Amino acid sequence: MSLKNILENWSNYRRDREAGGHHEYEHMWGMAIDLNKCIGCNACAVACYAENNLAIVGKEKMTKKQGMHWMRIERYWGEPDLDKLSQSSSQYQEHGANFLPMMCQQCNAATCEPVCPVAATFHTPDGLNAQVYNRCIGSRYCSNNCPYRLRYFNFYSYYESSWPAPLHLQLNPDLSVRDKGVMEKCTFCIQRIRVAKDKARMEDRVEKEAAVIKVGDSTFRAAAGRGKLEDMEFQTACQQTCPTGAIVFGDMLNPESQVRKLWDGHQVSLGKTKQTKQNPEKRGYRVFEALNTDPCVMYMERVREV
Amino acid sequence: MQTKDINEQIKWAQINKDVLRSMENPRMAYWVAVGTCLAMLMCAVVAEIYQYQVGMGPANLNWPQMWGLYIATFIFWIGMSHSGTLLSAILHIVHADWRKPIYRFAEAMTTFSLMTAGLFPMIHLGRLWNMYWVLPYVSDRGIWPNFRSPLVWDAFAIFTYLTSSAMFLFIGMIPDLAICRDNAKGWRKKLYTALSLGWSGTDRQWRHFRKTYLLMACFLIPLAVSVHSIVSSDFAMSIMPGWHVTSFPPYFVAGALYSGCAAIITLFILLRYFFRFEEYMTIPILEKTCKLTFVIAMAWSYLNLIEFAATWYGHDTAAKEVLWDKFTGPYSPYFWAMLFFGSVLPFTLAFEKLRRHLPTMFVVSLLLNVGMWLERWMIVSPTLSLSYHPIAWNVLWPSMVQWAIVFGSFGWFGLLFLVFVKVFPSVSMYEVKEMVYHRRRAHVEDQAKYFHRRLSDRQPATDTPSP
Amino acid sequence: MSGNEINRRDFLKVMGWSGAGVALAGCDMPTTVTLEEGKEKVTSYVLPEEYVIPGVGVYYASTCQQCPAGCGIHGRVREGRFLKVEGNPDAPLNHGKVCQMGQAGVQGHYNPDRITKPLIRKGGALVEASWDEAMDLIKQNVGAESTLKGERFAWVTGTVSGHQAVLLQSHLDAMGSTNHFAHEIVNNAVSQAVNREMLGEAQPAYRIDEARLIVSFGADLLGASQSPVHFTTQYAKFREAPRGVLVQVESKMTLTGANADLWLAVRPGTEGVLALGLANALLVKHKRDAADLPADVRDVIAKYDHDTVQRITGVAGDRIVKVAAWLNSQSPSLVLAGGSAEGQAHGYDTAAAVMLLNIILGNIGRTIVSSGDLPFAQMEAKSGNTAGLLALADTLDKGGLDAVFVYNTNPVYTAPSHLNLAEKLSAVPFKVVFAQFPDETAMRADVVLPIHSPYEDWGTHVAGYYGNQISIQQPLMEPLNPTTRGFGDLLLGMLKMRGVAGYADFEDYYGYIRQAVAALPAEMKADAGSEDKYWQQVLQRGLIPVQRKPRSLTAKAIAVSLPDYAQDSEYPYHLVPSPRLGMWDGRYANIPWLQEAPDQISKVVWDSWAEMHPLTAQKLGVMEGDVIKITSDQGAIEAAVYIYKGIHPDAIAVPLGQGHEKEFSRYAKDRGVNPLKILSPVREAKTGELALYGTRVKLAKAGRNEALVKLGGTDQQMGRKLVATVTADVFRRTEGGQDVA
Repeated sequence: MSLKNILENWSNYRRDREAGGHHEYEHMWGMAIDLNKCIGCNACAVACYAENNLAIVGKEKMTKKQGMHWMRIERYWGEPDLDKLSQSSSQYQEHGANFLPMMCQQCNAATCEPVCPVAATFHTPDGLNAQVYNRCIGSRYCSNNCPYRLRYFNFYSYYESSWPAPLHLQLNPDLSVRDKGVMEKCTFCIQRIRVAKDKARMEDRVEKEAAVIKVGDSTFRAAAGRGKLEDMEFQTACQQTCPTGAIVFGDMLNPESQVRKLWDGHQVSLGKTKQTKQNPEKRGYRVFEALNTDPCVMYMERVREV
Repeated sequence: MQTKDINEQIKWAQINKDVLRSMENPRMAYWVAVGTCLAMLMCAVVAEIYQYQVGMGPANLNWPQMWGLYIATFIFWIGMSHSGTLLSAILHIVHADWRKPIYRFAEAMTTFSLMTAGLFPMIHLGRLWNMYWVLPYVSDRGIWPNFRSPLVWDAFAIFTYLTSSAMFLFIGMIPDLAICRDNAKGWRKKLYTALSLGWSGTDRQWRHFRKTYLLMACFLIPLAVSVHSIVSSDFAMSIMPGWHVTSFPPYFVAGALYSGCAAIITLFILLRYFFRFEEYMTIPILEKTCKLTFVIAMAWSYLNLIEFAATWYGHDTAAKEVLWDKFTGPYSPYFWAMLFFGSVLPFTLAFEKLRRHLPTMFVVSLLLNVGMWLERWMIVSPTLSLSYHPIAWNVLWPSMVQWAIVFGSFGWFGLLFLVFVKVFPSVSMYEVKEMVYHRRRAHVEDQAKYFHRRLSDRQPATDTPSP
Repeated sequence: MSGNEINRRDFLKVMGWSGAGVALAGCDMPTTVTLEEGKEKVTSYVLPEEYVIPGVGVYYASTCQQCPAGCGIHGRVREGRFLKVEGNPDAPLNHGKVCQMGQAGVQGHYNPDRITKPLIRKGGALVEASWDEAMDLIKQNVGAESTLKGERFAWVTGTVSGHQAVLLQSHLDAMGSTNHFAHEIVNNAVSQAVNREMLGEAQPAYRIDEARLIVSFGADLLGASQSPVHFTTQYAKFREAPRGVLVQVESKMTLTGANADLWLAVRPGTEGVLALGLANALLVKHKRDAADLPADVRDVIAKYDHDTVQRITGVAGDRIVKVAAWLNSQSPSLVLAGGSAEGQAHGYDTAAAVMLLNIILGNIGRTIVSSGDLPFAQMEAKSGNTAGLLALADTLDKGGLDAVFVYNTNPVYTAPSHLNLAEKLSAVPFKVVFAQFPDETAMRADVVLPIHSPYEDWGTHVAGYYGNQISIQQPLMEPLNPTTRGFGDLLLGMLKMRGVAGYADFEDYYGYIRQAVAALPAEMKADAGSEDKYWQQVLQRGLIPVQRKPRSLTAKAIAVSLPDYAQDSEYPYHLVPSPRLGMWDGRYANIPWLQEAPDQISKVVWDSWAEMHPLTAQKLGVMEGDVIKITSDQGAIEAAVYIYKGIHPDAIAVPLGQGHEKEFSRYAKDRGVNPLKILSPVREAKTGELALYGTRVKLAKAGRNEALVKLGGTDQQMGRKLVATVTADVFRRTEGGQDVA
């Protein structure tokens, strides 16, 4: 690491990261979640437990808020947006609940990444915010610095308590069971991504040329030799089970992908702290965008008839 | 009433005798203190073993309270370490010679509180056994720590500060160790012979010694300031409301000096009482320390106000919520206690009567440090309990495991200090001699000037004035 | 080797290249955070393990048996282990989707508390025994040589369908008994009875996707309903542009209510009055044509004018006007009754009043269409209900049973305590429970036979709702415990035991199903080619589509009579024992995922709680987490309260699911309460169903606080833009009738 390089590149460093990072990407996995469709049924959350070997911590530890819900359905009462518009009765929750599925937002300018002392969490060329369990020393700084609070820590060793025999036979062999002292979080089902990428490579579905791809206002350099995956070739566990299809997952670098079309359609762009929409009524938004985390998950506003 | 910083008539031999006496023949009270500290330490050791085996859960850390008392106490101990540098290095450079009788134990305190502080980042790690990964050791896999992380900076800063302050302590002690060597027998003789590095007090040695000492002092001052600034960047570099505060580095440094000075007062009174150091740790020196503490307390209070004001007039509603929560929320009793101990209580230092009353000062100095410890807790926990995402709002009271380790850290510090005062001279003999010499001389010169003025047209015939 | 010989050199070449390939693949690790592009990398080569160890799963199609809906699933299998449930995209019922209970089935399969050996009651206690012993005992008691009289034998089951239903019926016939008590707590038996009378078909299909407006009176379509996933997939289409409007009328917010555009809290039991009030508004205010309605029906509707309805239901007048206006303008609409509306003493009339609205609005034939008849009537689902439970209790009361076989239901847990079912069952001399888990009923049996989990067993099923296919259930893995047996095999065995003709040739249930599929009409297999190929096709798809023969629905309006709302001074509150997606009727309390998955509404985990309106809480002087005592005339339960505005002030809701006996599961042990236990003996007047929502209770502070274990620190968004809401006008302006893309 020469001083000259650092000095040359440092000033551009942060800005480049906001534009999606400094290196060449293979993919840029993103999500779009339609709150008009989400009914808060929790199927995604349980599917996530099943797919990702999430530990069951039990009542006592849930009381202490030591749970491991990578995918959590938040439910809010109170409707700041609707109270202005309709004469909602103050006595009843007339417009139902506000459900919000929250998983790791895979921020392109993730606040968890720079603070990890051992770089156990870093950005992959898939645009993912990866967590290396082996490398993690459990300083928990990343969780403290995550405005979405989606990082969960293994406060205990759960293997024996969570999977008493024969429940352990259910464990997904594609990913590890995390031991105590390690931080974990949603990976966008990285094991499924890997299977799909391997398959594409084996079938020789490869983009030969490097390319510069514009996603909204951001420009990404796409690496040569990246896999050519069909949209919806594979799904994340939550998306797959979502009965209303509220969750759409895909490659933002693929202009044909559903998720990209949704982002473009809702005029939401990566790399911004405030969206400048041609049509401000479009429903897309990102949570805590103003914090400049540049999340890869877009939500579409809940809709209610008033 | 004692008005002079030190008895100017004291004999060199008396100084040697008094200090060397303090290092010998531990009394019952000493062994009781050692036993107490050991017991406290054992509490922490047991708790840590339990935590190591089971995980961080029993400490009552949770989502979102990922950090708790460990980090708060870490900052507390780091802060404590700043006073030694202040006394030995800063005051050395500005030629405040009243520091001389008390800087040695303050410097020891620096080293030991750093040794205590350094334990906490390790204790709080989920995987303690991998803690060396934070250090940039050479690995054939090309694995480095993440240089962007303030925690890595912490590791560097603490290690640098610890080694530098230990060296500074040692270098400053060399002439004294030689005195010890000359008066010791048995294992002590061997130890001091080795440590005094052949000091014989030649001019050349003194010249080199002075230069080295001054150089170390100059090196240590920016280091001390940077260490707590770096610790503050653990918070200031994050994006969390209540942490992301620009004024944190000076605020942390001020708090550090504050708690350090308060600790000096505490130890000052203890050493004076137990080692009968009335001749050296005099009331006027205590008064000076108290005044210094008072000034720092006011600076700290001012920086506190700046933080409140900046948050209040800022645009970050989340930060305002955190601030408001500190005032009114579940942590408010501790927050108000911190403000009382930190900003109101130091006014006792402004009154001469109280300043000179040792029992009062002892209690006050302890309470000031309680306030400073609360300050660190109030930095860490309210923000974690109340951050951007309301789904994770939660307050969790630290468990006995955390309390035991925090408690035990005081035992560990106490133990180190107790060993120190019996093995090394806790008052700098050669510097007290210097001080006495200079004072005496200054006194003589003053008189000379006085008489010179009265007998204006004639030069004094001899060095000593004659009526 | 002679024809295709590889010499040593070639071999080495191949090895060399493949070795290099491996090495290259090893080097081909994705670059990580780079400080300076292409020059030096600051980060390590350490990668998430998930990034480097992919595995390939095998998927088998099967049918979910978690609830009677019968969704098509794919089971992911690796190394012979069944790992995960995924939806079967080929299944028209659920379009590749599954709910959380479906996902959690795998934890039922691997549950550490499964019964693995037959148990026999010896000297009062259940002890492990061999299959031979158990089967001998059964042979003695119900075999061909036994002296058991036919009508003194009974089957108690949950909903059964497909060949299971066929064999069960055969067994009953062989025994000479007609006693088949099918019991489910979550049912729509009252609606079915109403549909049968008014439409001429018990379970018509609802075209939720076609409707522009749905007004649901307590029907928890998205939650505890006949086919939650099916309804939810339809709901997704319903919510697409131009986006239908959902109005939910109930006294405790269900999952469906939580997603309604307008959630109306109605005084418990007065849903029917509101329905008639809406009918009144349609006829009077909106001048809907009422010529087809019989005079007595019109008279009834006329009684419920705006003010009367407002007084009885407690719904604000402007809301009634609004819903009536929507009903008038939005077409086609769909009005549904369910759960809390039906579960009253006058549930039948309430459901009929709701159906009247459909008739007035002309929804019959548009959004309510015939499901038609299955060509194989004997395979049609026999849906469970609570009348089955009451009938069982009555029969037991009369001392009418000597042998009871129980499968796939847990009546001892679900029966209210006034039925005294546990005691009555104990009096039956011979009780056999076919069980996976040591539930309350199994623990009272004389013989407990450990059966395969649904993922180890063969079967065919026909969904009770949207049964447009025969769903195939196939084993996803070898039985986890070699000592469990398939229920179908056991049924077949018992038929053989009775010496019933025609079954002797089948070695096992699989053989029986193979033969049954082989016997399907040839035109169904036309494109398969051969019989074996067809069987492979069936297994791959996991279902056999069948053409149901549609009927023409009638629209017979009947006059209803609904009681005025009566206060009860001693028991002023209404108990709402709410089933939910997750715990369902309590059968999933042994599945840790579902225990740890928060309730959709209150977000409470691992426990029971009582939902309460802030006004009621104020009246009682309780805060969240305070424990209250809920007393009915049948007993009392205690639970900590959750306070929110999604419940009527007169109602107190306690979710089903907890309060199991300790043998059932380590996960359900000493956890919460079972509100079903304190239900009053109120029965629906016309169908004889148990009025689940007809219990009145009084409340008292228990004087202690047990903080609720909830996900989340606050219920409010605190000014953050977490869930933003726009009005439907905006939605339609921007997304119109087309997709956003």
